[in-house]
Amino acid sequence: MTTTQTAIAPPPPVTTPVEHERMPRRRRQRLNVHRTLATVVIALIVIVQVYPLAWLFITSVRTEQDFASGNPFALPTEITFDNYARAFETGNLGLNILNSLVVTLGANLLIVLLGMMAAYALQVLGFRFSRVVRALFLIGIIVPVQIALVPLFIDYSSVNLLDTYQSMIIPLAGFALPMSIYLFSSFYEYIPRETYEAASIDGAGPYRIFGQITFPLSVNTIVTIVLVNSIFIWNDFIFANTFVLSDDLKTIPLGLQNYIGAMGNVDWTATFAAVCITITPLLLVFLVLNKAMIYGLESGATKG
Amino acid sequence: MSSTMLPSRSKTSVLVFLVPPLLLYGVAVLFPILQSLFLSFFKWDGITDMRFVGFDNYARMFVGDDVFWTAFFNSLGYLVICLVLQLGGALVVASLLISLRRGRELVKTLYLLPAVISTVAIAFLFQRIYSLEPVGLLNQLLEWVGLGGLQQAWLSNVDTVLAAVSIPEGWRFTGLYMLIIYAALLAVPQELEEAARLDGANWWQVFTKIRFPYIRPVWITTTIIAATYALRGFDIPYLLTNGGPGQASELLTTYMYKTAFTHTDYGYASTISVFIVIECLIAVGLIILLLRRKADA
Repeated sequence: MTTTQTAIAPPPPVTTPVEHERMPRRRRQRLNVHRTLATVVIALIVIVQVYPLAWLFITSVRTEQDFASGNPFALPTEITFDNYARAFETGNLGLNILNSLVVTLGANLLIVLLGMMAAYALQVLGFRFSRVVRALFLIGIIVPVQIALVPLFIDYSSVNLLDTYQSMIIPLAGFALPMSIYLFSSFYEYIPRETYEAASIDGAGPYRIFGQITFPLSVNTIVTIVLVNSIFIWNDFIFANTFVLSDDLKTIPLGLQNYIGAMGNVDWTATFAAVCITITPLLLVFLVLNKAMIYGLESGATKG
Repeated sequence: MSSTMLPSRSKTSVLVFLVPPLLLYGVAVLFPILQSLFLSFFKWDGITDMRFVGFDNYARMFVGDDVFWTAFFNSLGYLVICLVLQLGGALVVASLLISLRRGRELVKTLYLLPAVISTVAIAFLFQRIYSLEPVGLLNQLLEWVGLGGLQQAWLSNVDTVLAAVSIPEGWRFTGLYMLIIYAALLAVPQELEEAARLDGANWWQVFTKIRFPYIRPVWITTTIIAATYALRGFDIPYLLTNGGPGQASELLTTYMYKTAFTHTDYGYASTISVFIVIECLIAVGLIILLLRRKADA
């Protein structure tokens, strides 16, 4: 992250040596107190943010008796992986993960490809009614996804699309498209006109320019968009819950619900093992690539 | 914006690039919006013939349906709790983070972690946090700090359930808004703050007179995102309580969902979802109006 940060960061705050000389000692002490206090408060807040997740993992290796009787904050008396075995027996985790992968890949492909195309048409090619089209795409950012549930359910059942991968991919991609177009076009703004002019003089038309210049230059933006969208698609509950009925197509969020047994009885430790299995891939990707993701989230909102 | 960057382009090429994305967007977003608007004037259960009822659904919603109003006010409560946790928390943490000398990247990453977790996983997690039997994290914590008398089943008590289903949503996304506000605070020119401090301004004055005005545009954007997301909040209340007990945690979104897919009353459900859209638009308008006006004053 240091690279992106130093790029935007102003001179470091209030701690330059010059500063210290100029400052009376009392103020410097007060600043130190402030800083210590800030550190403590931040540490506390971070614990509140992260502890529940750590607790998930701790609980997933507890024995059932330990979970039922013990103090929830205590460390497990013994570590067991039986919960993981039961998690795989009870549910259909492998299939759920596969389905989630298919939906995530499919939706991302559409979001990236169609996002680039629209941004190229709007920003690079340009046309008379581009402002109208931009405004249309803005609607999708503000409007809540729930508006589409009933109509899509009706439309899908009339064209036999209910209970398919497409039934999830279409709205997931459609509602993510505006932000993708927006990020691509704000990046395309910075590709200098001369690049295109040079290519045009060499005889390249709009299609070749898209394939040979715009697309290769977009790779960083693509990575950001894919990362950010993957979080939301991988975790989507509402579209999957509405349009998917059969077990064969259930994605992870739906699969996890299978762990609620008859009469609401839940095998909690096995459920938490299943939760841990399903969140680990995304957590790992996030921890490895968080620079790109954080950068994408920051720039996505602040440039607006 | 309509200026072109390419010296030569044809109408066809514009269409080739523009039509596919518009097609997907039309099918998934634009057309369903129109369809909802259309359906909101009909009575239809999906099986028998559709019947045009004019504004009957709207009249029923505004005058004849107590559950709608309960859900509406619950949604507002949900909105307020989410905004306080997300934006308030984000502003506090971002301001503190700015004054930190090291570990900023670590804090940012950890703080964002809950945003990566699916709502179903979060619902499972918070069921155990709020649980009374066996004692969950929250109740255990209360006992330790000597507030054991407050122990209760947070999700079954009508007085606490709305807050209990709102807090997970606030917790989940506060990291996202913190990042945005943090990036904005980094861009505040240090010279301005220094000059103010040398003139004897205290921390609060620096914040209200310099920092906040400087990040106001970003603050408006962030508030709009957070508000529209809170108004469309659905997963966690649906999964944790399904609106119950009674209607104590029913939101407009969960009510709409049940009306559509449990009672298969597509017409009335569309009316409610049209209302949710209008509510979002009004919220965006109000936020812009309120925050802008303060800037002019």
